[in-house]
Amino acid sequence: MEKEKILIVDDSEMNRSILADMLADYEIIEAEDGVEAVEILSRRLPELSLMLLDIVMPRLDGFGVLEKMKERDWIEKLPVIIISAENGSNHVERAYELGATDFIARPFDSLIVQRRVVNTLLLYAKQKRLIRIAEEQVREKERYNDLMIDILSQLVEFRNGESGLHIKHVRRLTQLFLTRLEARTDAYPLTEGEISLICTASALHDIGKIAIDDKILNKPGRLTPEEYEIMKTHSALGADMLRKIVEHQNEPLIQKAAEICRWHHERWDGGGYPDGLRGDAIPISAQVVALADVYDALTSKRVYKPAYSHEQAVRMILGGECGAFNPLLLECISENDPQLQNARWDESIDQPGKTRSRAILEELHDESGASRRTLSLLEKERMKNSVLASMAETVQFEYTPDPPMITMSPWGAQKLGLPEIIMDPKNSDELFRVLDREYWEEMSRFMRASTPEDSEKRIDCPLHYGGETRWARILLRTIWTDDEDPVLESVMGTVLDIHDSRVRIEELARRSTQDSLTGLLNRASARERIERRMAEKPEDHFALCEIDIDDFKKLNDTFGHMFGDQVLRELSRRMKHSVRSSDICCRAGGEEFFLFLDYNDQIESTVDRIYKSLCFEIEGLNITVSMGVALSVTEGPDYTRLYRAADLALYKVKKSGKKHYRFYEQAMSDALEDVAGEEGR
Amino acid sequence: MTLQECYAAMGGDYDDAMGRLRSERLLQKFVLKFLDDGNFKLLCQSLADGRQEEAFRAAHTIKGMCQNLSFRALGKSSSRLTEALRAGESDTRELLECVMEDYRVTEEAIRAYQAGLN
Repeated sequence: MEKEKILIVDDSEMNRSILADMLADYEIIEAEDGVEAVEILSRRLPELSLMLLDIVMPRLDGFGVLEKMKERDWIEKLPVIIISAENGSNHVERAYELGATDFIARPFDSLIVQRRVVNTLLLYAKQKRLIRIAEEQVREKERYNDLMIDILSQLVEFRNGESGLHIKHVRRLTQLFLTRLEARTDAYPLTEGEISLICTASALHDIGKIAIDDKILNKPGRLTPEEYEIMKTHSALGADMLRKIVEHQNEPLIQKAAEICRWHHERWDGGGYPDGLRGDAIPISAQVVALADVYDALTSKRVYKPAYSHEQAVRMILGGECGAFNPLLLECISENDPQLQNARWDESIDQPGKTRSRAILEELHDESGASRRTLSLLEKERMKNSVLASMAETVQFEYTPDPPMITMSPWGAQKLGLPEIIMDPKNSDELFRVLDREYWEEMSRFMRASTPEDSEKRIDCPLHYGGETRWARILLRTIWTDDEDPVLESVMGTVLDIHDSRVRIEELARRSTQDSLTGLLNRASARERIERRMAEKPEDHFALCEIDIDDFKKLNDTFGHMFGDQVLRELSRRMKHSVRSSDICCRAGGEEFFLFLDYNDQIESTVDRIYKSLCFEIEGLNITVSMGVALSVTEGPDYTRLYRAADLALYKVKKSGKKHYRFYEQAMSDALEDVAGEEGR
Repeated sequence: MTLQECYAAMGGDYDDAMGRLRSERLLQKFVLKFLDDGNFKLLCQSLADGRQEEAFRAAHTIKGMCQNLSFRALGKSSSRLTEALRAGESDTRELLECVMEDYRVTEEAIRAYQAGLN
């Protein structure tokens, strides 16, 4: 786990370092006065866990810092422990008043400091967690409330042989009418909360139908007068049912729903049922739901009637053919009214969390495996939320293909310097300032190729933000609909900072391929590269030069290893300068080097030039080398053969007085037999 | 010279400091560091130039460090000077001389201890 970060603000360097030593388990950030502290807070507040703050400081003192924190609401987000020799009680009091959490007096006692810090961190962590849990629970509760109401009310509809859309339509129409009514008149003052409550309760308006006999409820033809009387009892029945839920009688939702149930068939002129209420004796909630109910019934197809057009329906309502309504309410509808015409299908009217219930309900009606799938659906939602909550301080995003849009977590957006919402990402300049386009394309390819079974992907890429470039690992997961024919819904992503570990690995890799003294490649990595080069282009002409410094051992013994190292480094430098950067320079060990290059023609003059540049003067001494050269045109593109040949040529050079170079010839190999065993190398 | 003897020579309380810091290694590190701190110089300079406010902060910082390290003698004299400066007293010469004397003794003890280490 990452260490928690503590900001220590004190003008005395010694005091800061005493505290830092006492708090060795944490990552310490230091500020030497209040101004610096505020500057650090303004940039790094989210990553800090605690601040230790001195009072007496130049430029801006501890009280000044606390005041700034209070002014900017930072004090809520970061616990502050005051450290000071000032233990006069008015100091303590003032610090607490400004929001400090605790107080540590000088002289510091390491146990007390550690304990206070741990306590404060725990307290804060716990508080943060509790707030999050409480918020989650409230949200969860609301969601399940809505869900239960929808399930209940739609059960009635399904029983009624209807699509279940009626509930949704009535809710949207109720919302629209109430909003228009509020804009038009002060006669019915409603808060936003009350409007939302009425909309939710509207779903239950026909709940009494659950007690009506199937045969009457679903009768295709006209009802007889007796049957109609029975049908009419549904409004009072619904209200009674709700009022009998003793434990929840006082819940505003239940009371609202009961009044809507009972009175949504009353008429403004007093001619409705069950109570024959007149005018505003009918609660406004029931009046509005009644209008919504009638409008949707007219514009929908029923077993006993076709669907009327919007214009027809409005004409019938305004003409008094379908009940009698509050004139103020009638002002809210008109024939030329595209908003109303579309309202029933306008999902933007819904409050969030309404569509899930429908999916669940449809699953309930699905005969096989319905409950298992319903549970897994709920489980998925819950999991998604808790995962999101636990990752609140990471960079996360969700990409939706339709419309193409990226939504960043607030913390992530701030961190990367991006907006929280990026529309049409593939044409977003902002996005491509942070992310290189090729990686976006890699992500797009993944999205296209992804399936529900193959839904995860890891992409390592550099990101440019905060004035630097850092390596990141992006984890992607595609989310699919649960249908038989799954459709890509969205892509969830998390961005991890892997910069430090990646840089470390690169450094290790570099070191393992290099000779530490000269920076040239070591033998193993040079061989690997040479073999790769020859395998890629076996037809090219290559030369391998093996180089030995003449009398290096004597040089070392006479002038010391430091001088020897200097010679090795100078030779390495000259090797690198004598060839192109694509050629391979290697220190194979000790004073043995080799060079590998490709050439077009005239290798003789090239080798001659290289050889001359490798003999040099240093501190008045002439350094010479011996060199053996082998060519792929005669030996073939084979490392072992080339190396052996170059080695033999070098051997010949050494046997004949050093200080020159030779190309390998077949005769050398033949002669080898003669000298074998004479002198080991 | 041991660290304990160094404390005795400057009139400090070794046991108290060890009781709080709980590590001779750390205590040694901070004692040696004490001489690098610029606040004593700043105190003398700012008093000479008549910058009371700055002198108060420097004296206050010295006092705080002495408390943390249990340098009793210097802690006491710097504390008295701090309070005088906080109260805005103008004649602090005598108190400053005490601080200078205690600082000299403290510095001498630390230097002697340091010399013994090398």
